[in-house]
Amino acid sequence: MKEIIKSQRLGEEYIQIEHPSGLTLMLYPMKGYSTAYALFATQCGSIDDHFKTQQDDSYVQVPAGIAHFLEHKLFECEDGDAFAKYAKTGASANAYTSFDRTAYLFSCSDQFKETLSILLDFVTKPYFTQQTVEKEQGIIGQEIRMYDDNPDWQVFFNLLGALYQKHPIRVDIAGTVESIAQINADLLYRCYRTFYNLNNMVLAIAGNFEVDTVLELCDQILKPAENIVIERTPVDEPLQVAQKRVEVHLPVAVSLFQIGFKGRSLSPSENFKGQILDEVLLEILAGESSPLYRRLYDKGLINSTFVGEILCGRDYISMLFSGESRDPDQVYEAICQEVAKVQKEGIDPETFARVKKSVYGRYIGMYSRVDAVAGLMVQADFAGIGVYEILDVLSQITKEQLEERLASIYQVEHSALSVVSPVQEQ
Amino acid sequence: MSGHLQSQKIGPGVTFRWVQDSKFKHNRISVNWILPLDRNTVTQYALLPFLLRKGYQDCPDFSQLNKKLEELYGAFLSGDVSKYGQYQVLDLTMQAVDNRFTLAGEDLIGESAQLLAGLACRPNIQQGSFPAEDVQLEKQFLRDTIEAEINDKRTYALSKCRSIMCEGEPSAIKKYGYLEDVDAITPKTAAEAYERIMDQAAIEIIFVGSGDPAKAREIFAQAFGGMERHPISVGPTVTQTEAEKVRESVERMDLVQAKLVLGLRTGNLETQRQKTAARMMTALYGGTPFSKLFLNVREKMSLCYYCAARFDRTTGIMMVDCGIEPANREKAQGEILNQLHLLQQGQVTEEELASTKLTLKNSLRTVTDSLGGINDWYLTQIFSQNNISPEEEEREIESISLKEIVEAANKVTLDTVYLLTGKENR
Repeated sequence: MKEIIKSQRLGEEYIQIEHPSGLTLMLYPMKGYSTAYALFATQCGSIDDHFKTQQDDSYVQVPAGIAHFLEHKLFECEDGDAFAKYAKTGASANAYTSFDRTAYLFSCSDQFKETLSILLDFVTKPYFTQQTVEKEQGIIGQEIRMYDDNPDWQVFFNLLGALYQKHPIRVDIAGTVESIAQINADLLYRCYRTFYNLNNMVLAIAGNFEVDTVLELCDQILKPAENIVIERTPVDEPLQVAQKRVEVHLPVAVSLFQIGFKGRSLSPSENFKGQILDEVLLEILAGESSPLYRRLYDKGLINSTFVGEILCGRDYISMLFSGESRDPDQVYEAICQEVAKVQKEGIDPETFARVKKSVYGRYIGMYSRVDAVAGLMVQADFAGIGVYEILDVLSQITKEQLEERLASIYQVEHSALSVVSPVQEQ
Repeated sequence: MSGHLQSQKIGPGVTFRWVQDSKFKHNRISVNWILPLDRNTVTQYALLPFLLRKGYQDCPDFSQLNKKLEELYGAFLSGDVSKYGQYQVLDLTMQAVDNRFTLAGEDLIGESAQLLAGLACRPNIQQGSFPAEDVQLEKQFLRDTIEAEINDKRTYALSKCRSIMCEGEPSAIKKYGYLEDVDAITPKTAAEAYERIMDQAAIEIIFVGSGDPAKAREIFAQAFGGMERHPISVGPTVTQTEAEKVRESVERMDLVQAKLVLGLRTGNLETQRQKTAARMMTALYGGTPFSKLFLNVREKMSLCYYCAARFDRTTGIMMVDCGIEPANREKAQGEILNQLHLLQQGQVTEEELASTKLTLKNSLRTVTDSLGGINDWYLTQIFSQNNISPEEEEREIESISLKEIVEAANKVTLDTVYLLTGKENR
């Protein structure tokens, strides 16, 4: 099944194809670009720690960090390392694991066909042995150690640990040195069989390439996938936070903070559309032109590192504010007051119109970067909406809609503060 | 491929350069003040981009300025400081959607250029002083920025090693300056520093985007044209080319992972071709996921998550860094140097060279697919006295032989070993 989706606004189009193998293809050729950017992604992330398919008798509880471990291990093939294969085409390749997905990517300017065939091949042919698993434990162990010393990472995961009581989002994506020690080849295969089913995956490509090349390769390499049903145990996460405040000491000069408002999660597509609304809300509440930003900046409580963002996925959504401050507690209090005030008094219409225009302009920019376009396609597909619907949602936003959202999704009482402060000298 | 670079002198020591490419949806303009790195002026100058970012005579209020940016479809404006060899570069950069994507046909190129030229040339200086509150706040934020250097341990360790290596040379001076020099800055001395950069800096204005640069060029020519100036001329960075003896330095912090950095010199590189060969040698040694360091120190010995080499074209310095268990320091250093030794002996294949060439070619093409990439490319060219396009560099890379790579490796000498590690008995 092939569908061409056009945007009048941008004067562009992309093609969406349901390939007979079960894989969804989203192909966005872009004129004038030298490189092509491809993402081969599956809905398997660090939060997928308890699952089964209809073929399994019982659920399995996997060690924290297994999705990320699997991502590392897939690069190993029976006939050598995937990086060594990419070396022959000059592509720049990588992969990442987030809370709710794993993606394998490359950027290339030449030999697109050869490069794509490497990607399709290694991701669909797992190969692990006990020996290669052990080798990876050393490498990932050092990756985890690197994060242990990284204050931005610490302040973030401590916040998630404070916001969430049960949800596996509170656990580090890479796991711990102890949890990854429990990973073995059998567990990796079980994860792979469950989540790397083509029906659960998408291939998104943007930039300089030919659509026919992709189709030809998919026909050649991809075998039709069995229709499996993945059952994930739903998390019964209350809206109440686990802890209001968490603080650790690390070698930093000025305290780092993250403030989170745990949102009420809806369906994946509602979360995704909600995220776009929330980005407008963030700007209204604490963007650079907001009275709150100005007050905090003038008091020296925040600096230019201050930023707001929405953390959103399949079954979680939170509004986050982060930065450096001499007094994170005061910043936290001021943000809570502002949220409560806007909830009570509503949004100023002039501010709303201005900020809406601004967020729209920034989104337009994403459609001119090959990596951003590929990323948007994956996100949109996993959320079950179209890539251009993002711009439609943005252009149709109303002030009332935002007010309703702020009232129903975010509550001051469901918020928390995480601080990383300087090491105190004895 | 992107459009070609064109340039026009619009005032004494002021050049306007542009690359027009219809594939983009935005236009980006940066104003860059190039100044010699000097311990006596570096801190005062570092404050200026942040002061300029706060407003100007037509729009003195910070919040009003930010509102104006939102009106311009979320135009992005930033001020920052960077360092190229022995030069400090202050920049103000603005990026806005192209006129084509506005809802009411606004001229965003003209408005952006007016705003940026205003910020650069008509700052908030009254009776020879910047506003006292602005100076006080931005001084505090500059202190924070200087101190925040320790937050990211990898960047910190690299910068520390470079400072030790270049001790006594301008290249050792930190781009944001020094904590102890921040206090002495007053609203008046800041205004004087601004007058000096307007008199002495080499000024490069770079426009990259899909729109017509003519209007912007006209606006900047008007703003900068009539000035009487005494600009510096930008010459090559002078550094030591060969190590005399190996310097060793150890620093301890409350850390779990150690960062090992090796600073190396790449000999006397007289021609552009020799520089390109040194860059390629660095990539072969530790710049790709199939390089000597990645395959051996990481994959074979499982000692680290990252082990990479990078080459600074302006100083000829090569840095190798990795994050390791503190106990593995000797092992890691031994293998890093062993791999260099093997490269010097010519243990490198035509196949490795071919792959490295393809990879570098790919990264050069990636440059032409982003506005920031093109901007940074041409700015860097100014410091390496080498006004070539990414396409021209691609051709040079193509022609470098294995023999030249091995020659480049044989000029490498180890200068400094720096280790950032945990406290003893932790």
